Amino acid sequence: MSAVRPSETEPFDPYGPERALAYSPEDATFALFNDYATGRPVLRHGIRIPVPTEVRATWQRSRTPELTRSAGPMETIEGYGIFTFPYGPVSMGVPESGKFEVRTYGERILSLEPVTGFKSRRILTSIAGQPISDGALRIERLAGNFSAAHAAAYLAAAESAAGIEVPEGELWVRALAQELQRIYNHVHVLARLAEAASQNVGAAQTHALAEEMLRIQGSIFGHRWLFGALLPGGPRRHLDAADRRDLGRRLNLHSEQFERLWELFLGSRTFIDRIQATCPVRREEALRWGAVGPTLRACGVAWDDRLRVPVTPYNDLFLELSQESAGDALARMLVRAREVQSSYLLLEQMLDRWPRDPGRLLSPAPPVAPGRGLARVESPSGDLVYDVTASDGRVTRIGMRAASQANIPLFARGLRNGVFTDFHFAWESFGLVFAEIDA
Amino acid sequence: MDPAGLLLTVSVAAFFVGAALGPLGRRGPYLGSLVGSAGLGIVAVLVLAGGSVTGATWAGPLGDVEGLTLDPLAAFFALAAALVWVATSVYSLTYDDRRSPLLAITYALTLGSIALLIAASDQVLFLIGWETMTLASYGMILQAKGPGERIFSAAFVFLAFGEASTLFISLAFAGLRVGTGVFAFGPHLGPGDLATLVFVAGLLGFGIKMGIAPFHLSEWLPIAHSSAPSNASAVLSSTLTLAGAYGLFRLVSLLSSPPLWWGAVVLAIGAISALLGALFAAVSEHSKGLPAYSTIENNGLILVALGVALLAQSDGVHELYVFALFAAFYQALAHAIAKTGLFLSAGYIEHTAHTFDLNSVEGQAKSGSRGEFGGTIIATLSLAAGPPLAGFVSEWMVLEALFQSYRFGQSWVEFVGLLAGAAVALAAGLIVVAMVKFVGFSMLWRPRPSGAGPPESRLGGVVGAVGAMVLAIGVLAPWILRFIAPAVSGFAGSSVAAPVGQLLAVPDGWSILSGSPFGILSPPMIPFIVVAGAAVAAGYYALGRPRPRRRVPIWMAGSPPGQPGETYTSFGYGTGIRIMMRSVLSTREVRAETGESSGAGVDPVAAYNVDLEVFDAFKLFYEALVRLGQGTSAVLKAAVMPGRLGRYLAYILIVVLLVVMYVAAFY
Amino acid sequence: MPTWIGQAARNGIVTSRYPAEPATDAEVPETARPPIPLRGDAALHDGVARCPVGAISEEELDRGKCIRCARCRPAGFEFRGPVEASTGRRAELRVGSAAPAGPGLVEALPPLVGFPRSLHVFLVDAGSCNACNLEVLALANPLYDSQRLGIFFTSSPRHADVLLVVGIPTPEMAPAVLRAYEALPAPKAVIAAGVCPISGGAFAGTPGLLAGLEELVPVDVFVPGCPPAPVEILDAILRVHGRARTAGGD
Ligand code: SF4
Ligand code: SF4
Repeated sequence: MSAVRPSETEPFDPYGPERALAYSPEDATFALFNDYATGRPVLRHGIRIPVPTEVRATWQRSRTPELTRSAGPMETIEGYGIFTFPYGPVSMGVPESGKFEVRTYGERILSLEPVTGFKSRRILTSIAGQPISDGALRIERLAGNFSAAHAAAYLAAAESAAGIEVPEGELWVRALAQELQRIYNHVHVLARLAEAASQNVGAAQTHALAEEMLRIQGSIFGHRWLFGALLPGGPRRHLDAADRRDLGRRLNLHSEQFERLWELFLGSRTFIDRIQATCPVRREEALRWGAVGPTLRACGVAWDDRLRVPVTPYNDLFLELSQESAGDALARMLVRAREVQSSYLLLEQMLDRWPRDPGRLLSPAPPVAPGRGLARVESPSGDLVYDVTASDGRVTRIGMRAASQANIPLFARGLRNGVFTDFHFAWESFGLVFAEIDA
Repeated sequence: MDPAGLLLTVSVAAFFVGAALGPLGRRGPYLGSLVGSAGLGIVAVLVLAGGSVTGATWAGPLGDVEGLTLDPLAAFFALAAALVWVATSVYSLTYDDRRSPLLAITYALTLGSIALLIAASDQVLFLIGWETMTLASYGMILQAKGPGERIFSAAFVFLAFGEASTLFISLAFAGLRVGTGVFAFGPHLGPGDLATLVFVAGLLGFGIKMGIAPFHLSEWLPIAHSSAPSNASAVLSSTLTLAGAYGLFRLVSLLSSPPLWWGAVVLAIGAISALLGALFAAVSEHSKGLPAYSTIENNGLILVALGVALLAQSDGVHELYVFALFAAFYQALAHAIAKTGLFLSAGYIEHTAHTFDLNSVEGQAKSGSRGEFGGTIIATLSLAAGPPLAGFVSEWMVLEALFQSYRFGQSWVEFVGLLAGAAVALAAGLIVVAMVKFVGFSMLWRPRPSGAGPPESRLGGVVGAVGAMVLAIGVLAPWILRFIAPAVSGFAGSSVAAPVGQLLAVPDGWSILSGSPFGILSPPMIPFIVVAGAAVAAGYYALGRPRPRRRVPIWMAGSPPGQPGETYTSFGYGTGIRIMMRSVLSTREVRAETGESSGAGVDPVAAYNVDLEVFDAFKLFYEALVRLGQGTSAVLKAAVMPGRLGRYLAYILIVVLLVVMYVAAFY
Repeated sequence: MPTWIGQAARNGIVTSRYPAEPATDAEVPETARPPIPLRGDAALHDGVARCPVGAISEEELDRGKCIRCARCRPAGFEFRGPVEASTGRRAELRVGSAAPAGPGLVEALPPLVGFPRSLHVFLVDAGSCNACNLEVLALANPLYDSQRLGIFFTSSPRHADVLLVVGIPTPEMAPAVLRAYEALPAPKAVIAAGVCPISGGAFAGTPGLLAGLEELVPVDVFVPGCPPAPVEILDAILRVHGRARTAGGD
């Protein structure tokens, strides 16, 4: 394990000189975000990070029955006896709707092409013209299990665009919600992996642990999925001292239980062997195709938005970067498990140093252009970018690049030369969510 | 000449008369073959029921009396061949409506020469028949459609192996002649170096024709690479190998007291052939290559049974000796008939789907011909050893014989038996994959193509009739075993009884017993049990609460089913085996970049051609042969056209004489 | 040395007692249940302007539209309605100002014919946010353990009795939903889980999307909620069976 804390003085550039092109706001056009063509917007602190490109999800937003897949496969494969194995859009292996077209001569996956857009709810376009607060209702429901990250990024971008001041307490609530949800999602991934590996007792116990996190969220915020928890201008619920004590107690139990389960998983050879070397992503590939989040950190790149672009309260809290180098499903799970541990730690620090409610009013990040805000947060699956243009308190344009959009090409590439039975381990290990790909 | 002898003579002659009528039309040779095979079959039945029959005789060029005769051993093979030929000849009358009359002529000549060699009373006539058979079937392969070079090289390989086989057989016969002093089949050759020479040369010579390892190439390649006409492939695969088996059986029957290692060698070669044949069949995508590989597997099983018989003979385990012999004979019979059905079915598929590639055959199941459908299912089930069919009974007998190798005195023989048992069991499993693939991808799993031609009901009818035969040979096995007992006796040199008897409540004579008893099988009871089971189920269904039938469309994970290019290929069905058995098959993936197409994304999209190749090491040998063939092709093409057969007959005689003189001088 | 067995034993039985006993606060937060206009007509009147999805009118509250955002709480709405809010008739999701606070709001449906024994359920995501999917999947975890009630999830509609649809049907998914419905052998039932398939929920009125699942297939049970909690979905599945907690039941 390596713990890297980037220094503010030394610009860190994980992407190599050819990727570190100068940023100008004009690069980050709306089309860039919405259609995910190449673009390299920059962030605060002078650190440049390209918006990972190559997410070729240029689906149609009109009511055409035709689905647009990613702009053609990454490779075309022909050969004797080779056929396309269609998987989806409705399969129990992936509980969401999305399709994969696998080229194979049987058993082995020669290439895999995800076809997305089945769940396109036209959310981003439908928000245009709505008040910022109403837009938040749809953004939370863009991807239910990443609702806190999406809401936080959207609100930050919208507040920056509209110049809305935010009470400090609200920012702490946003961070708290995100960390709770990060734990839920990572634990859920672990449960799904265990399920795929037929570790039935482990899967049941881990699912129960994930459910417990939903119940914690439900009792704190009144909603199991944190919908409505984060609002522009102020939280639906402030945490008083008793709430914090109660939350701290439940989180302690939760983390103890997690440690026990994780130790058992690490001791289970069948489980470890099954995910080791499954769906590997090489470092160069991850950088070239723009991987984010645990996928990126699992192949040796030290990048976490919470450390690289820290906003209140993250810039006051200690966070250890989890990093691995093997790039396979096991490495991704190891990264996730350590992030669960670091999230418990973050939550503990937050509960200890909770600001006086509602706290001072903070001005939002300066807009990148008049009326236009950009924000990125580390969602459970990785870097999430929102680009919101607003005027008169209403959203006029909105762009978004989700972690799953960035990572799905890596999933597809990693599975090449794998076998059919690798599919579920690979899919779960990336933590991909079709809902945020399709928006 | 008694009437039976006259019928034998006329039958053999009918093939050649038919061939001679060839220039007048295609029907002549096929009708001649039909008449000839029917007659031959009748004589064979008479022989098995009553005893040897002698037809025309004359003085041979070397002074020996030679002529046509059918003893029970020959009659068994004549009967099996006749059953096949009646079917293929009727089939050919409909199937062959497009090709040159040369196909019909060479077809009749091939059949006639096999009939001749089976009915030959001595070695010279046998060799003349043998060589004619090789040349005539060479001519048959040349009638294939497709790229000329490919056909010629396939035919060349066939001819090269054929001549090699003739040479070895000549050597074996010469040894026999030297040892016994006569050309006629009859006197036995005692043990000794000469017997060993005869045995080894004979095993090589006939083994090449049977396509056993390491000569399996000679079996599949000419058929698969030439895409030979289907009536031709059926004859090539079913009865040419039958002729090889006959020759081997005849030769071995003339060698008394074999040493122990003969049996072990035959057993080992048989087991390896069975395994290789089954393995390659499972990964073959060619609707005729696959049955051809399966022929290798079956011939391997014949050798396994023969090997066990020889071991038992030299070890003095008489009961096992007899049982294994019956197994070998039954395996030969079962395979010949079922394989015919498969090849005729491949021809039917080719007729309607215009392809030999199982990947692109569209399902025939709904195209109308019930005979074709039923016949193919029965034939494939039989070859996959499904009860109660012919192949099931014969494979059961072979395995039963093999499992009793513990009775042998020496532990190394038991060990060979054990290894062979494992190989045969694996082969039995693999061949199921091959057969499911054949019937599944040609008949069951795909909808009928919209543009399919009208069903050829007559072709289908023949396949159906063959299927009925396969069923009968399976269910009526105890009676057929008794019927062919004279043939086995002829081989063993003493009268033996069929291994049938009684156990439990099954009526006497309805069961096959191996050992006393080691295992028991009653094929006639299986239909009773099946019918009884079905009756119970039907009764339960009729008397019970009526359950609504819930019928719903296909579900393909929400995608529209039946999209082009989205169906499982037969290649994909076999890939598991390609990967699992990669050490034997030398499986490797060959990936070639075929260019870049620029997608809408940022990076250009690479295009690849990916092939998963399996590799038969013996192909190297084949490639060398072809290179040789290309060098001499012009000469050969001119020399071996069917019109110059006379020269070749003279050549055989010269070869035989030379070898006889050489061996005589040596000993 | 820790073992899985020991781990399982340490935690004991965690399975919900629903439906033998009412849903607990842990299972469905008592502040996240179906809304009730506590202040009657006045609440409805004040709520109209607050509701972002138009679930409130002067006459009634439409739970089939309510995304439980709680914006109407200041107008006098409380979120303590019965967990057993699923219903076989769309109209029953519309409640007037007199809606009682306690359980037993909705009449029990007569059991749908043809499912005498266990129920096999096939989940189709027609365009959800994934929260509904996860809540349905949660039914299989040991805390809810739907198998104890004879409810099983299948991987093909051909083996299922019930089609459980979540999410608002997108035009891209509509053909697949129809295919799944057709592949379901009769007798069959359809459950629309969550307000998305009922009315479009938060996305109602988006151009290009379908107005609801009823545009595609007949719906037998409607489950309000965004997302409905696992026990609310359980209640709906049991309703298909005629085993739901009934009106006024304990
Ligand atoms: S909770 Fe329901 S009724 Fe109340 S405002 Fe929100 S959507 Fe409307
Ligand atoms: S009803 Fe709510 S939770 Fe369910 S899919 Fe729709 S938005 Fe998501």
